[in-house]
Amino acid sequence: MKKMLGMVLTLVLLAGLIAGCSNSASSTTEKGKDSDVLKVWSFTDELKEPIKTFEEKNGVKVELTIIPIADYPTKLKPVLESGVGAPDVFTGEIAFLKQWINRDYWENLSADPYNVDEWSDDYVPYVFDLGKDNEGNVKALSWQTTPGGIFYRRSIAKEVLGTDDPAEVGSMMSSWEKMYEVGDKLKAEGYRLFPDEGSVRWFSKSEDPQPWVNENDELIMTQAKLDYFDQAKELREKDYTAFAPEWSPSWFASMNGPVAYNGGWEEVDEKASGDKTEVFSYALPTWGLHSVLKPNAEETAGDWAVTTGPAPYFWGGTWLGVYSGSKNKDLAFEFVKMMTHDEEFLTDWAKETGDVLSYLPVTNKIKDDFSEEFLGGQNNYTFFLEEAKKIEPGIVTEYDQQIDTLLGSKVSEYVEGKLTKEEAVQEFYKAVKNAYPNIKTP
Amino acid sequence: MKRLDHKGYYFIAPFFVIFLVFNIYPVLLTFYYTFTHYEGYGKPEFIGLANYARILTDSYFLEAFVNTWKIWGLNFALQLGIALFLAALFSDLRFRIKGLGFFRAVFYLPNLITISSVAILFSIMLDWQYGSINQFLMKIGLIAEPINWLNSPFASQASVSLILTWMWFGYTFIVLMAGVSGISKEYYEAALIDGANRIQTFFYITLPLLKPIMLYVLITSLIGGLQLFDLPMLLTDGLGSPDGALNTMVLYLYNQAFRYNNYGYAATIAYMLFLITVVFSAITFKSMYREAKGEKAAAKEEKRKIKAAKKRGNTNAQGKKVA
Amino acid sequence: MHKEKKLLNKTLIYILLTVLAIVSFIPFYMMIINATRETKDIIMGFTFIPGTELVENYKNMMSYVNIWAGFKNSLIVSVTVTILSGYFSALTAFGFAVYNFKGKNQLFIFMLLMMMVPGQLGLIGFYELNKALGFLDTFIPLIVPAIASPFVVFFLKQYLSSTLHPSLLEAARIDGAGELKIFHTIALPIMMPAVATMSIFTFIGSWNNYILPLVVIFSPEKYTLPVLMGFLKGSQVAQNLGSLYLGIAISVVPIMIAFLFFSKYIITSISAGSVKG
Repeated sequence: MKKMLGMVLTLVLLAGLIAGCSNSASSTTEKGKDSDVLKVWSFTDELKEPIKTFEEKNGVKVELTIIPIADYPTKLKPVLESGVGAPDVFTGEIAFLKQWINRDYWENLSADPYNVDEWSDDYVPYVFDLGKDNEGNVKALSWQTTPGGIFYRRSIAKEVLGTDDPAEVGSMMSSWEKMYEVGDKLKAEGYRLFPDEGSVRWFSKSEDPQPWVNENDELIMTQAKLDYFDQAKELREKDYTAFAPEWSPSWFASMNGPVAYNGGWEEVDEKASGDKTEVFSYALPTWGLHSVLKPNAEETAGDWAVTTGPAPYFWGGTWLGVYSGSKNKDLAFEFVKMMTHDEEFLTDWAKETGDVLSYLPVTNKIKDDFSEEFLGGQNNYTFFLEEAKKIEPGIVTEYDQQIDTLLGSKVSEYVEGKLTKEEAVQEFYKAVKNAYPNIKTP
Repeated sequence: MKRLDHKGYYFIAPFFVIFLVFNIYPVLLTFYYTFTHYEGYGKPEFIGLANYARILTDSYFLEAFVNTWKIWGLNFALQLGIALFLAALFSDLRFRIKGLGFFRAVFYLPNLITISSVAILFSIMLDWQYGSINQFLMKIGLIAEPINWLNSPFASQASVSLILTWMWFGYTFIVLMAGVSGISKEYYEAALIDGANRIQTFFYITLPLLKPIMLYVLITSLIGGLQLFDLPMLLTDGLGSPDGALNTMVLYLYNQAFRYNNYGYAATIAYMLFLITVVFSAITFKSMYREAKGEKAAAKEEKRKIKAAKKRGNTNAQGKKVA
Repeated sequence: MHKEKKLLNKTLIYILLTVLAIVSFIPFYMMIINATRETKDIIMGFTFIPGTELVENYKNMMSYVNIWAGFKNSLIVSVTVTILSGYFSALTAFGFAVYNFKGKNQLFIFMLLMMMVPGQLGLIGFYELNKALGFLDTFIPLIVPAIASPFVVFFLKQYLSSTLHPSLLEAARIDGAGELKIFHTIALPIMMPAVATMSIFTFIGSWNNYILPLVVIFSPEKYTLPVLMGFLKGSQVAQNLGSLYLGIAISVVPIMIAFLFFSKYIITSISAGSVKG
């Protein structure tokens, strides 16, 4: 028995080694063929269809590699630093865009032969601006703009506010005080203004638009940001929210119909069964419509509309550029160009996906034709383009994503009553200092 | 025997060649980073001992240190307790529990899934409104209102400990049983004849003879536990919330390196962690070995006693017959 | 009386074991059931009854990744890793357990020390090394380091020191056997239960290894299963939870089978060792 097992093991070992060898052998031969393939790396499969179009148009092969967003920087960093196995084109999310732009990872597109500075008037200003490094050179471009708004339920608006017209509802939500009034009215009828306190963070961030960190590495704490602590607390204390934090199951469920307020225990606790509520509105950007609301709000489809909040804001976005060490820069730039500066392609793309483009020649042509069934026929396209214009360029820093997250967690500790406001603010400064020792906090 | 001793080198050579190349070299490279300010881009900038000065006064690191011990400690006590209890049950000749293979296989199942899937699963199940764990506990009347597991520091630490226990008790049980398999059945037979009860058998035979394996379990669990990372990372989106209760040492390290790009400081945290692990492993080793030596002697003594008792028993019986 | 009490005890033990078994198995059941359901049903809650979306989920998943190619890659890597790690660890453990060469304790302690280095940070150095050696985008960085598996060596050495009697070796030497032959004919068979046990863990560890293949493999056709799963999470499949669960299920079922195969092997050796009789 033991002898047999030993023999089996030896055989398997040999087989494994042979398989391993043959595999590495075949990989070297494949490498030779691979040189005329354009390699594209991204963190979503958004580019899948465009790549097909590009392949057909140019008769080349494009290889798309998708890396989950959480691992994207981990995977890219060693590759970009060393240049081994690097892609020709790669995308960057807003979270790490600024970091990468100020390194030499992306080719300088302001220089010859690209000269994309000539295109600057064709784009939504803040989007084009975000692709520039500290010296003003364009390193990456984006085909989309991602401003946000407030998506609300028409039927509830009609019942409580007497109108479901986006402009009128928008003016009822145009300041914090007015928003609280709406919250009060909703509460009286058993509805909740927002799913949770985090929903308002975008408004506090862009109420007084200033970068988090200035050129002297000083943290800028605006009054608007300090007020955010109180605003979030007020939302909680006045019962304007439904305890459904973003991305949680209750958040998704609340889009589709009534949810149990403060726990989902109606089948357990008979008395609580009357305690259901519906959430009135969600602060979401352009992509929120397609990838959050539509798949999760099937029951309430058509009952939605989008309007403005107390301040304009944007959330997310994907940029792309040519890898500076690419051996295939011409083709790589062709791809970037198609994605961001090709009228025919972008027109088809926008019509097919509903993605709100940053390329104005196309948007100006097509924007009036949009009518979104999910939003009761509203033209969200023009709405978002108007919002995009209001966004101040030049306030995004490479620290934003992390500092916003740190602020959010301290605000929620204050809202939960675990810290006083003073403590929460001090803890926030301490956390920023710990993450970025070079930043001077107040 | 002596003349053959040098042959040992041949046996361990392949291991150490590969070990030096693939393990030691990367680690030494990391050591250099501890003296630098390095953002993972470009060239590291030499800053002397500044990182070490910082870590000694870093309250976040201290917090992470305490959290890691709490979470690991609870988990290890539970996991070892369950595994030892099961090992005692299955090694007990009187119970003759059937289905060892089946149970062992099933108990090990939680360890087969990747930790990221485990985290996805539990983040759904621990959701305080829609999670099945709260729903279940309320249905059977164990709790009156939903527990917001991942919002209170204590509950979240306990949750992570319990998930870890769930994942690892089967592993520990398998390893302990493999150790039990090495114990000669004569010990148990002797104990049985001698009329030693279950608890005595367990404490005087199974436990002392399992010492080398227990040492293995303890050390590897300690090393793994101090490097606890994936679960807190995935359950809290890397923040270690609530109130930093799930901020473990390696999560802190990871955030410093990959979130905030402080590679130099992250490397320093890695070496601090290394130092901590070495110190605690050394303490464990020392105490276990000292004990093990003592216990082994005790076990031998016990065996001798049992044998002697057996003899005495026989003579007594004979004596009775004679009388 | 006594018998009744014993029966009661035994029943209690079996109930306890069954409860533990159920707790251990439930997530698998959830995963398999969810693989047959639609996303919106999965979000709404769990049920014990399978859904009807299995084929849809499969088609959806296959339209994004070729999971069977990943399967093949994972199998090649994991099997070779398991064998290399099992054999060379046994070799090393034997060397440490049997011979009293100079520096033995220092080397062993050094090995133990190196086990304690947190893995995350070696990553960059590991990448640099493989870049320098030209091993990037091959399976070599995934397979060859398995020759040095300190955890396995540690376990096997602990196991050997309580099972291998020097008299056995002496007898073989008197018979004129060489050291390597002694290892193969005497020590290795004795170690087999422990090697098999460790092999399970090695295999599973390698099968589930994510970050290393993610960093060193570039070509999609060489991706292992966990990397493909990450690929799925980044695609629109992520919004189709059913397909995601199906992918996870497909990657887990084979290790369940491998595990059952190995665990059977240990059982015989254990019953031969102690429980029998």
